[in-house]
Amino acid sequence: MVYNENRSQLKSPVMKNLYSCICMLAALILPTLVFAQASEDWTRVNLSVTDNHVIPGYISLENAAAGMATAAQSFCRSPNAAGLEAFRNGFHNSMDAWQQIQHIQFGPITYFNWNFRIHYWPDEKGTGARQLDDLIDSMNSDSLAKDNFASESVGVQGFPALERLLFDDESLLAFQEDNYRCQVAQAIALNISDIASGVSQRWRDEFRTTIENADERGFFESAEDATIDFLKAQIEPVRRIQQQKVEEVIGDSAARARIRRAESWRSNRSLRNLRLNVLALENLFSGNEGQAVALGAVLMSEDRTLISEAFLTLKMRLEAAPDSIEEALDADDGYARLQQIAAGLDDLFEAFEAGLKNTDLYLGFNSLDGD
Amino acid sequence: MKLDRRYFLTLASAVIGSPVLAVGQNSSDTTALFLSAASDSDDQHWVIGFELVDGKSAEKFRHLLPARAHHIAVHEALGVFVVIARRPGNYLWVGDLHSGEPLAEITVPVDRHLYGHGVFSEDGRHFYAPENAWQLINGDSGRVVAWQVSRDSQGFSMVRAGDFPSYGTGPHELLLKPDQNTLVVANGGIRTHPERPREKLNIPSMEPSLVYMDAVTGELQEQHMLDAEYHQASIRHIDQNASGQIVIGMQYEGEPFARAPLLALHEQDKPLQLLWAPEPQQGQMKQYIGSVRYDRSGRFFAASSPRGNMISFWDVATGEMIKSLRSRDGCGLCAIEQGFLFTAGSGRITQYDMVRDEIEALNSGSFGKVFWDNHLSMIAR
Repeated sequence: MVYNENRSQLKSPVMKNLYSCICMLAALILPTLVFAQASEDWTRVNLSVTDNHVIPGYISLENAAAGMATAAQSFCRSPNAAGLEAFRNGFHNSMDAWQQIQHIQFGPITYFNWNFRIHYWPDEKGTGARQLDDLIDSMNSDSLAKDNFASESVGVQGFPALERLLFDDESLLAFQEDNYRCQVAQAIALNISDIASGVSQRWRDEFRTTIENADERGFFESAEDATIDFLKAQIEPVRRIQQQKVEEVIGDSAARARIRRAESWRSNRSLRNLRLNVLALENLFSGNEGQAVALGAVLMSEDRTLISEAFLTLKMRLEAAPDSIEEALDADDGYARLQQIAAGLDDLFEAFEAGLKNTDLYLGFNSLDGD
Repeated sequence: MKLDRRYFLTLASAVIGSPVLAVGQNSSDTTALFLSAASDSDDQHWVIGFELVDGKSAEKFRHLLPARAHHIAVHEALGVFVVIARRPGNYLWVGDLHSGEPLAEITVPVDRHLYGHGVFSEDGRHFYAPENAWQLINGDSGRVVAWQVSRDSQGFSMVRAGDFPSYGTGPHELLLKPDQNTLVVANGGIRTHPERPREKLNIPSMEPSLVYMDAVTGELQEQHMLDAEYHQASIRHIDQNASGQIVIGMQYEGEPFARAPLLALHEQDKPLQLLWAPEPQQGQMKQYIGSVRYDRSGRFFAASSPRGNMISFWDVATGEMIKSLRSRDGCGLCAIEQGFLFTAGSGRITQYDMVRDEIEALNSGSFGKVFWDNHLSMIAR
């Protein structure tokens, strides 16, 4: 599969060295920045992150999802093994892109329930599966029309529903025997593509300007207020993926591990998702090579070093793991390795928390635990 | 969202030309005392009193509290304020309004805890606060306790005088109707237990309600539930205007993507009137309203959405949202001349002039790094 080529890249010694270089580079570049916490400084960070991280991330998703939608269309015209392979590759490419921008949970992705519609997970009550079965049984072509499909239940609209249709041993046969099933898969792919292009376009055409002009007269209270949204996107996912993507799966003991609680277990990419999440979070924090300023600039340089080290440790642990959590658990030391990944995420979160304490930045109080 | 121009005229006439409604309304807000619970980064919990001086907030007093608090009830004639412990806390911390000095600390029985809200009767002789009789797993654990209050040369005292069912689970905010004979209680519907302090135990079967009950006998007068499809919208916060209309703020416990009602109006003997914001504001509320307060005219109200970092303003005559403002973790609301003062978990204090449509962030540096809790109270002095 195409995506395995990417995986081997991620795990190669060259990339490992590159990570180390980037960490060192970040440590070298960032301390030289004098961050005066003036409005222009917050805006500088916000725009740099928007232009170097957020918008490219959404453009990648938009492109990958458009490719998937095209592959879906070709496949459904005449379902065969090669077409299914192309559709699955389109899914993997799109999911790769989504996992690298999933952490941004403010701005356009929150419009029209797009965040829930593109990837409603975890679905603790399993409602998505039931709704997908109901939709397929209905054989109602009207509900697949673009505008109608957007108002279907979130559980049938996004990646988890598509994964369920695409990654089954009997998928090809099922598609060949039931063209409506293929139309459903095609409608989901198109829907993901529409959402991706909507979010991407709104960031480029509208929300970048909102970020650029963040002051008390606009959507944000101030430029710092916008930076706080980026910081929440940086830090909150660390805890969330630790709990939802690892601890919920591994439970208290190897005997209690539950693979089906893992994200994307059907497509065997649970740990790949995690690896991409962490790489993306590091990119948000440290920036690309040559990027003048990244989000890490708002923290003290000593804290930045500790956070970079926590990223490095975590990535080494993730690189040593296979793509699928099932494969990881099958290995003798697999359970311990997954525990180490959870611990690495915990250490990273703690490093961020400690860093925040050395600033005046505030992420949430009433909003975290209301009454 | 900019305020529609036609509203300026409406607002100006409604807000400025309104009859006297609230205590201290005729006094200038510059002599008013504002009170709020707050926490600091060392996880210490405070009650803080502040004034507005030359457009800036100025701290008058602060006292350390035994645990995190929620709402503060005030009574001007008695000259006292009561800080009510946040769920599952068990203390009522009473202070002197003028000096800020502590007068009493009262705890509820060991098989009870408070819900963070309470209200004085207008004459100051009674204080009412919801409690959880948490051992009553199967019965109605929601209670409303009436306290007899006195302050004289002998000092201050509060004695438990009545203990009534709230006719629901998880009673939260309550108020007394202008006639002073009727209590209105928001039963959130959520069962909790102090041994699992922040866990919600009955989300699939929760049944919130708005209850009107006799303040003397505790007898049920009216109970209003939401339609079955919205039974997971917890009715938590309420306010009333001079005509006795109630505004309700809700917190939805169902699926995060569901379109759920968050605000409603109610008049006694009538059905609930659900209010909906246009998109994207309805979605931006993140299914959570933290506080609701009428403005001084009673024609408008503000609703805070701390999870959505937004405060919305509504016209009850049309049932429509007329304005929304960004406020990072903004929750505490208080009606002031021509608008609202609001406090945020971020520590910010902001003034919004509805007539001029102007927002002013007040300097809150004098407080150090504090996180304002969910509710803001005020009294003129």
